[in-house]
Amino acid sequence: MSNPLTLLLDTLLPGDAARWPAAGAQGLAPRMQDQARDLPGGNAALRAVLDHLPDDFAARDQMAREAVLRGIETALPHAFDTVVTAAYNAYYTDPAIRDVVAARTGFANHPPQPQGFELPPFDAARLAQVRARPPLWRPER
Amino acid sequence: MTETADIAIVGAGAAGLAFAFAVAEPGLKVVVLEAGGFVDQRQAPSLSADWELALQGAFNANPNIRKAPADYPVDDSQSAIRPAIFSAVGGSTIRWGAHFPRMRPSDFRRRSLDNVAADWPLSYGDLEPWYDLNDRMMGVSGLAGDPANPPRTERPCPPLPMCPATERLAAGFDRLGWHWWPSDAAILSRARDDRAGCNNCGPCGVGCPRHARASADIAYLDAARAKGVQLRANAVVTGLSFSSGGHAVTGLRYVDRHGSQQLSCGAVVLAGNALGNARLLGGALDHPRFGRGLMLHPTAIVTGIFDDALQSWRGPFAASIVSQEFCETDPARGFTGGFQLQALRGQGPLTTALGGYGLRLPWGEAHAAAFEDRFGRTLSLTVTCDDLPEEANRIALHDTDRDRHGLHVPRMIYRTGENSQRMLDFGIDRAREALHAAGARRIDVNPLTRNAGFHLMGTARMSADATQGVTDPYGRVYGIDCLSIVDASVFVTAAAVNPTPTLQAIALRAGDAMRKGRAQDKIPA
Ligand SMILES: Cc1cc2nc3c(=O)[nH]c(=O)nc-3n(C[C@H](O)[C@H](O)[C@H](O)COP(=O)(O)OP(=O)(O)OC[C@H]3O[C@@H](n4cnc5c(N)ncnc54)[C@H](O)[C@@H]3O)c2cc1C
Ligand code: SF4
Repeated sequence: MSNPLTLLLDTLLPGDAARWPAAGAQGLAPRMQDQARDLPGGNAALRAVLDHLPDDFAARDQMAREAVLRGIETALPHAFDTVVTAAYNAYYTDPAIRDVVAARTGFANHPPQPQGFELPPFDAARLAQVRARPPLWRPER
Repeated sequence: MTETADIAIVGAGAAGLAFAFAVAEPGLKVVVLEAGGFVDQRQAPSLSADWELALQGAFNANPNIRKAPADYPVDDSQSAIRPAIFSAVGGSTIRWGAHFPRMRPSDFRRRSLDNVAADWPLSYGDLEPWYDLNDRMMGVSGLAGDPANPPRTERPCPPLPMCPATERLAAGFDRLGWHWWPSDAAILSRARDDRAGCNNCGPCGVGCPRHARASADIAYLDAARAKGVQLRANAVVTGLSFSSGGHAVTGLRYVDRHGSQQLSCGAVVLAGNALGNARLLGGALDHPRFGRGLMLHPTAIVTGIFDDALQSWRGPFAASIVSQEFCETDPARGFTGGFQLQALRGQGPLTTALGGYGLRLPWGEAHAAAFEDRFGRTLSLTVTCDDLPEEANRIALHDTDRDRHGLHVPRMIYRTGENSQRMLDFGIDRAREALHAAGARRIDVNPLTRNAGFHLMGTARMSADATQGVTDPYGRVYGIDCLSIVDASVFVTAAAVNPTPTLQAIALRAGDAMRKGRAQDKIPA
């Protein structure tokens, strides 16, 4: 059976069956722990949220698990927010997930540098309408 | 023996390094002291796929979260807007967006024209040559001929290009008959000297490995050093020394890795930004206006979500196009002053999921669809509002809390004034209108960006009258000889535009005047 952190991740980021993997099933629990550690108060926040999971959390379906988490979100808003941030951090920096982002959105899955992107010239003809306007600024007097 | 210098400058940010460059000359010992260290932008986080994490840590704009060794805490518990500053050689320009608009002539004459605030003791014309010099030093891309601004010299580089998102926005502005123009940007659109041209990568805020985006260190440090300026990094100035009677500054104390040091100097120039200056001066400056009249440019961010995959994460995030349709006062709008609408491009995948400029995307089953709906399909407009100098908005010092150097913790005390609130409301509606005209399917509004305390203005305003201002038009502090302030603290009004071109022009002008004044033993009137 999945451990609580994996279940928590799968509930926060369940993906969808066809395209987006669930975060826990993707094996992101250790990465999520690392991310929590790097956030201010992250370890304590993660512990607090895990401590609030009921014993039968694993037995519930996604809807029921979400309902549990909404309760925790209300009870521990700050800690929960930190945990969600750690989960998103783990998910969207995972290379396999970024491949999915690329496939689904056209995202260029490489670091921004050194490759960058083409820098086409600015087309000054686009400004014809604005250029035709009289001055919009007030002189000093 | 105590070391001596002719001029000591506190802070190696946008203002401090521009001032150092302008004041330096052979035979003059100019020392810049900077609390932070060097940031090697050649190794910027954007070389790594998980660069977005850096925005939460080492490049977080909020010093209370970042907590780097050079940072000091800021009490923002009574401020609607949180501080956004960076402590390093280059100052906050290490972290900035490089959008580079100038103030307009009317911004210096708000009392005469609109019967609010005060006129500046200098004019746009006085600053124009310094704006031009600064544009060349920083390396500005843009296009002359903008009808919303006075004519200006050819820009050093051609404008940065549009992208599918800004193309749409420009078409929307045209449809509405509103002004828009490619931003002046402190980003090279083509290579110059040892700086490469921009390659449109996007995340300028974590540093530019190509040095295409100017920061104060890249633009000014070598030139200042070539004139003999000495820079001491990781040197925190902890206090000023005064003559007996306290009417003149005679030097300063600082702490570096060797311990406590003293520097005896002919002039001390503060360029630590309004928070850093207040923290350092402590109770030493008792001018009734010092610290008061803080202006912050309250900013709303209105985001349009489009149907098409615009790939809006490409290109410099903050420097693209701007509308100055509403910058000048129009009494019929129900407020004085105006605002600019500055386009912001979309963000990376993680930042998008965390909410970008608005609310975090929902977790749970709705998440994947919400992400696909948004990522690469957004374009935002900032509603950057002119702000009036209200006395209650201020930087004060904490009575009891002190930082690890024993300096008082500065407190930001700020609420959005009535005039600014009316302007924000009106501006949000105009931004919605523009994004609708651009074809946005849905529009989200962040009515006041909390993390937008990056323009800290007006707490040591300049005036020709010592009772009305803390400094004279050259930044010299009234009542304390040999002390100057040369950053945006001296602004009299805020205008609707980002402050750095203006604060650097002021610093260059003040530095030049100090240099000439030392030569002639007087500062030009
Ligand atoms: C996220 C972000 C985006 C921005 N985008 C833009 C933009 O697009 N356009 C624009 O015009 N502006 C922008 N800004 C604002 C711009 O960065 C500032 O206006 C500018 O850097 C201010 O210059 P400064 O020299 O006054 O202060 P800073 O650049 O903040 O430099 C002050 C320096 O003084 C040092 N210092 C303070 N106290 C001491 C002390 N006691 N001893 C030693 N050193 C000390 C600090 O460490 C710091 O390095 C942005 C800022 C941020 C944070
Ligand atoms: S977008 Fe251009 S200026 Fe910004 S970091 Fe990338 S290369 Fe540098």
